[in-house]
Amino acid sequence: MTLSGELIAFFGLALVAILGGVLLITLTKVVHMVIALVFTFLSIAGIYLLLSAEFVAVVQILIYSGAITIVMLFGIMLTKHQESDEPAKGGWGKITLLLAIAGFAVAVYLGIYNLDIPVQPATLHEENTKQIGIELFSKYVIPFEVMSVLLLVALVGAIVLAKKDDEEGDQS
Amino acid sequence: MIKDLLHSTPSLLNFGIFFGLAVLLLFVVLGFVTYGILSERKIMGFMQLRVGPNQIGGKWGLLQTVADVLKLLIKEDTIPKKADKPLYILAPVIAFAPAFMVLAALPFTDAFQFADIGVGLLYYMAISGISTIGIVTAGWASNNKYSLIGGMRAAAQMISYEIPLVMSLVGIVLLTGSLNLNEIVAAQEKVWFIFLQPIAFIVFFIASVAELNRVPFDLPEAESELVAGYHVEYSGFRWAFFMLSEYVYMFAMATLTTVLFLGGWNSIPFLDFIPAAIWFGLKFSAVFYVLVWIRVTFPRIRADQLMEFGWKVLLPVALANIFLTALIKELINLF
Repeated sequence: MTLSGELIAFFGLALVAILGGVLLITLTKVVHMVIALVFTFLSIAGIYLLLSAEFVAVVQILIYSGAITIVMLFGIMLTKHQESDEPAKGGWGKITLLLAIAGFAVAVYLGIYNLDIPVQPATLHEENTKQIGIELFSKYVIPFEVMSVLLLVALVGAIVLAKKDDEEGDQS
Repeated sequence: MIKDLLHSTPSLLNFGIFFGLAVLLLFVVLGFVTYGILSERKIMGFMQLRVGPNQIGGKWGLLQTVADVLKLLIKEDTIPKKADKPLYILAPVIAFAPAFMVLAALPFTDAFQFADIGVGLLYYMAISGISTIGIVTAGWASNNKYSLIGGMRAAAQMISYEIPLVMSLVGIVLLTGSLNLNEIVAAQEKVWFIFLQPIAFIVFFIASVAELNRVPFDLPEAESELVAGYHVEYSGFRWAFFMLSEYVYMFAMATLTTVLFLGGWNSIPFLDFIPAAIWFGLKFSAVFYVLVWIRVTFPRIRADQLMEFGWKVLLPVALANIFLTALIKELINLF
């Protein structure tokens, strides 16, 4: 393994992603957690970029860091979520947790150590936006359309729920 | 030049060159912001029958902004006692860094551009969305009701207007068949997209003014209602960072408008002896002037009107434009 720019970038991004994840768990204020989450999302987008999946990377930033986090922040701030989480306590619980984490680490290590990744066609990174589009509209048309119906149902459902709240608010 | 650099083997020298170029661009942008602000104040002055800055740096007030920046630098840096300190410090950084990042993907001329990425258009939209997080964070971390309202308004407005902004550009993507900004410019060699996509241009321009948080869409910092909006508690250089990111976005948005609708560095027929950089500069300045003109002549709209306009007018118009473009494109292909 040689030290290349790609490797340095990967380690930097991976470090930020993991740090963001750890901070997300350890920080006590909810808004701080969301900001930590943003850093995780951004560095994951960077890792996609290293894998030359530029479209996925940009969409990751657009949807996750851009839209979803803002909606989360919006909800948290408007509901005046000032209280912070209590840090969990317990002696035996921590040891079982450690064992579980170690077990998970071993399982993941065994799982990926001898993983044989098939050699992918070398043209995958060229014009991958176009390739995604062609795949989506030729091979996967039906899942794509079903997904859009699902999203529409979610949208209508959200409107119905919000509307209900509004009427109750008027009555009280 | 950049392309050769990107393909060469990585080394410390390479890093140095890239770093140097980035610093150079930063100074170019800072220079633009300095004189952009001055020209904005001058134009506003003339339009409102005032003289504008005319004391420091000669008759035209050429050093006015420099003096202002100096004042901001030596100003006391205050952090409110009840503010959320880490977020308060982090927020200007989150707001400014993306503003400078988007510049990397913008092609100024065929020679002067940094990264030629395949999804350049989406890259701009995605990265500029991150700034909103900085603004919301600033509003929340200041622990002040005005700044919180300002931050909320900024988030709501920027999310609502990002959708028509992106949707209006789908027509261009349909016509070009690419998200690459260079290919979009190349597709406008004969006819600029402002003539092929007039509806998209109007929607894009309105939405871009809203994205820039400028009058008539400056509700996040409406000074007559919210004192100063999300940056009401900020002072000195932290405040300057918010202003700077606002003007860098203005620079980036004027560039993007030029690239997408005014043919980038392409020249008008018979006038191609004028260099590409000058063409770009002319178109860019025209867009910038219109942005200032809009700021001077329009009143601010109300918050409820803002949302209604974005969702009920701009979005349907943008969607109809996509439909129309696809239809016409197919019809032309048919015959």
